[in-house]
Amino acid sequence: MGEHASYERLVFKNASVYHYMKIDLILESEDKRLNAAHFKQLIISALRDLYGEIGAAFPFDVLKFEEDTLTAVLRVYNSGLVKLWSALTLLGSYHSEPCAVRVTQVSPFLLALSGNSRELELD
Amino acid sequence: MAVFVDLNISHTVDKKRLQNIIETAAHLGYSTVAINHVVDLQQKKQEIGKPKCVSELFDQFPIVQGKSRPIKVLNRLTLVVSEASHFRPTNEFKSYDVVAVFPKTEKLFHAACMSFDVDIICIAVTEKQPFYFKRPPVNGAIDRGVFFEISYVPAIKDSTMRRYTISNSLSLMETCKGKNVIVSSGAEKPLELRGPYDIANLGLLFGLSEGDAKAAVSTNCRAVLLHGETRKTALGIIHTMKKIEPTAERREEEEAPVLKRARTEAV
Repeated sequence: MGEHASYERLVFKNASVYHYMKIDLILESEDKRLNAAHFKQLIISALRDLYGEIGAAFPFDVLKFEEDTLTAVLRVYNSGLVKLWSALTLLGSYHSEPCAVRVTQVSPFLLALSGNSRELELD
Repeated sequence: MAVFVDLNISHTVDKKRLQNIIETAAHLGYSTVAINHVVDLQQKKQEIGKPKCVSELFDQFPIVQGKSRPIKVLNRLTLVVSEASHFRPTNEFKSYDVVAVFPKTEKLFHAACMSFDVDIICIAVTEKQPFYFKRPPVNGAIDRGVFFEISYVPAIKDSTMRRYTISNSLSLMETCKGKNVIVSSGAEKPLELRGPYDIANLGLLFGLSEGDAKAAVSTNCRAVLLHGETRKTALGIIHTMKKIEPTAERREEEEAPVLKRARTEAV
């Protein structure tokens, strides 16, 4: 029995308490404009539709929202990810007009959202 | 890695819209889609027509995102049955890749699980399930390799339907324990489609485990397609097929003798 083990075992557990989602809102008519506040309101109402007042009351943030492309980055606690994602999936209309949310990427690391390997173009 | 499949794209006569939906499906990452032809056998004189050849739809099929391979399009038949006498296996079935049945009563559900030669049994999502799922027929279906289908588009469209979809699927999961379930769209518009990973996440809401939910859009669908293929074969061992020539070429062949005849007459 050595007094000191000659190696050290490091286990990396996912240290991140958040998940980040990169999403894309698609509206049927493209002339509609909405800002970040409207966008968050839309997500909250989708959550409330699916989970009710209490189920929808978990924190999430819109880190970035681009008005011209309707792309957003969301941050949510791991425990709320399934709820938020399913609410986004079942979101089908905005002001009684069909819409869809395309989830481009989901990752526990914000840095991962900076690039998408599927859209990588190799010369 | 398992490829993603959506076995329920509603058939429309509008070719443009159908193309649009299939393009969206390819963009979302589905490698295979099936165009669903619904025949309601309740109404009299319903004919099961032959499906259109899918190669007529596109000159060049759209490329699946992240796969660099074109999307595969299949034909699927769904029979809505309310009386046992309505279900008669015919030769028309063989021109479809997948055959599904939507039983309206408990007796038919039992028959569909135990004896009907189908690949998929549809579960009602637009109304409250009129009967309970009993253990023996569900187990029988699992043993025979028949799958249960839940379609998610009504859940997107309407909040009442959403309740029915979730409650019916939860009551199905109570009996089948997440085995032999597929989740498909039933989309009529491109905006109603959702990505495969979204659906895998949605499966958690339907009472599936994480693994089962992913299988519901990938490996289980593959099993359905293979089950459908065995119908065209003798016990899944021997397979005969006719050589099919594209219609354009055939027309040319028909024309050619006429031209030849004309020429010989002229001589």
